[in-house]
Amino acid sequence: MGSMTSTDDSLAARTGRALLDAATDAGGVSILAARLLQRMVPPRVDGPELWRNLHRMGVRSLPIVGVTALFTGGIMVIQAGVLIRRFGAEGLLGWGAGFATLREVGPILIALMFSGRVGANNTAELATMVVTEQLDALETLAIDPLAYLILPRVISMVVMLFVLTIYGDVLALAGAAWMGQGLLGVSTATFWNGFLETIRVWDLATGLIKSVLFGGMIALSSSHYGLAVTGGAPGVGRAVNASVVASATGIFVVDYLATYVLQ
Amino acid sequence: MSAAVRAILLDARELQSIFLRTLYWSFRGKREPGDVARQCYEVGNRSLFFLMVTMGFIGMILVFQSGLQALRVVPDLTMLGATFLEALVRDLGPSIGALMLATRVGAGIAAEIGSMVVTEQVDALRMCGVDPVDFLVVPRFVASMLMTTTLILLAGLVSFAAGGATAWFVFDVQPQTYMNLSLLDRGDVIIGLSKCLGYGAAIPIVSAWCGLTTRGGSEGVGAATTSAVVNSSLAVIFLDLLFSGAGFVIFDG
Amino acid sequence: MIEVSRLSKRFATPVLRDVSLRVPTGCLYGLVGPGASGKSVLLKCLAGLLRPEQGSVSVCGATLGDLDEVSLQAVRNRIGMLFQNNALFDHLTVRENIAFPLRRRGVSDESEIAARVADRLAAVSLAGFEDRMPGGLSGGQKKRVGVARATVTRAEVVLYDEPAAGLDPVTSQKIFDLLRAEQRESGATVVMVSSDIERLLTVTDRVGMMLDGELIFDGTTDEALTSTHPVVKQFVHGEVDGPL
Repeated sequence: MGSMTSTDDSLAARTGRALLDAATDAGGVSILAARLLQRMVPPRVDGPELWRNLHRMGVRSLPIVGVTALFTGGIMVIQAGVLIRRFGAEGLLGWGAGFATLREVGPILIALMFSGRVGANNTAELATMVVTEQLDALETLAIDPLAYLILPRVISMVVMLFVLTIYGDVLALAGAAWMGQGLLGVSTATFWNGFLETIRVWDLATGLIKSVLFGGMIALSSSHYGLAVTGGAPGVGRAVNASVVASATGIFVVDYLATYVLQ
Repeated sequence: MSAAVRAILLDARELQSIFLRTLYWSFRGKREPGDVARQCYEVGNRSLFFLMVTMGFIGMILVFQSGLQALRVVPDLTMLGATFLEALVRDLGPSIGALMLATRVGAGIAAEIGSMVVTEQVDALRMCGVDPVDFLVVPRFVASMLMTTTLILLAGLVSFAAGGATAWFVFDVQPQTYMNLSLLDRGDVIIGLSKCLGYGAAIPIVSAWCGLTTRGGSEGVGAATTSAVVNSSLAVIFLDLLFSGAGFVIFDG
Repeated sequence: MIEVSRLSKRFATPVLRDVSLRVPTGCLYGLVGPGASGKSVLLKCLAGLLRPEQGSVSVCGATLGDLDEVSLQAVRNRIGMLFQNNALFDHLTVRENIAFPLRRRGVSDESEIAARVADRLAAVSLAGFEDRMPGGLSGGQKKRVGVARATVTRAEVVLYDEPAAGLDPVTSQKIFDLLRAEQRESGATVVMVSSDIERLLTVTDRVGMMLDGELIFDGTTDEALTSTHPVVKQFVHGEVDGPL
């Protein structure tokens, strides 16, 4: 998305261009965040637009988050199962699967899916509006595109990813308990006892705090890439691609930082 | 409800047909020798850096996390590296790497094929007596299987090294203690490699299906790209469950 | 010869309703009608790119609905087609775009391929454009490369979907004259879909008009020009008042 048009193709030049582009985008995301915060005090959000976005982002993601979470729970049980077999400690299954699911794997996978579904879609929509000059049209009507268009989307994404992570956690644990019984023969009662004895509320909270950070990350970068689109209809495709990649990288970087801070 | 079921069945049949035709043409088709190499370059060029960064972070996060988890039960970190390596080879490396590739490669394939569909280039291929699956999907299919495995091996090394650095600096686990291959057995390697191949096969097929069923103009291409990311990620998670389950039953059951 | 009998096709809504049509060998047939009336869908059915739901389509003596994808290829080898958006392959040069159908039909003699590509490019007045990429061509030039590719195999049946869409009046007329000259020379059976009825009617032998998926008129060009059918009359003469 950067503005560099140099054609020098040496490795140094390409690395330099990539770094400058990354810096441009990081700066763009920060400025967008600052301008959105400005509109939060006092709140200037378009109410109906907010409701519409909350509804469609939430409903659209329910099936995919549900399926992802159920499978994730199953996979985590199988991974924990290898260790359980080794140490012969069935009581630890709920702990092994639950800890990783709630703190790490659940929030990450749900955020990745959310980015693919809602984030990519957000970029595509905004980018299309930019290339068809709909944003200019809003401004000529004296409507602030950030307050009217972007802020409701950003808030919706943060709120919805938080809610979907709770929903996903529940389904992932159900999937884990069910898989534990089916594949390892560990009764659901043993699973839940192990889970309740060892998992602290803080483990759940860590995951949920992360989901809010991921939501903000996805919302800001998908909006930024949509608004910064250049080059007509093919530009829209490039913007979507860049947005999904940036969100995925962002999720891991944020997760890394959060894991240190929230231990 | 029955309409939704019928739509899913139709999708499944379409997907199966693309898969079978891809297999058929992989063995029977005649193609330019450069085709597969060019696709390999595309995949590698597009994803190597991205994959290494994300997998490097994953290594640091998971070693840190499992260090904490282990300290809570047994204050012994000598097996930290060995346990992480086993999990990395068996599941995390292939699956998380493939999720990243589904995002990067899947979106690219769907966008390319989708825009060829809406500009009628795919119909033009059919009019020239070419099965679009042979011409467009097979080179990407072969390249994806090769490159998924290669890239995940490379990124797995980066991930293990990044984890080692974390173990050293945060938990004071010496590299020679961390470099412990004792838990890695034949089963882990077989499961890991079959996952790489399975994901490498699934991502281009699912994404090509999304691209080939594109409807409408440039909005259609956008929708195809998004659904390729979501559907190939889902395919990875589904195959992960399948391979992990089968691997557990075969090697640990 | 092309024969369509009682053809129906629907996507979400019906797009072709009970269409019957006969195009004799060596005829240049123009298919007209307002937007979204089913012209392009009918053309894709003739090429076997879409399958009929009811009724039958027969081209060069083969009934397309009965054939599987592999046997369809044999029929398609006898058909040339120009697509609405030209559908030039982005990654191939002009030369390779035109040579593509030849290579896929098993022509491997490079000197013959070069000669036929040069002949086609000369016919569409684009000699010397062999090494250009489609991305760098103007709309009219892309169209003409598309025509060259559609006619390079000397197919018995050639289908043109909107050969003049988006071109200025002068270039449109040139394209239509070119297609007519091509058809005279090769004796091919041609079906041409266009919204530019005024120019289309200067080159056609027969004309069909579609409205809402139905073929409401089928006759010679003169019959179309003098038709008293209110819709045909309005459309052919471009009047504002009328049933449309």
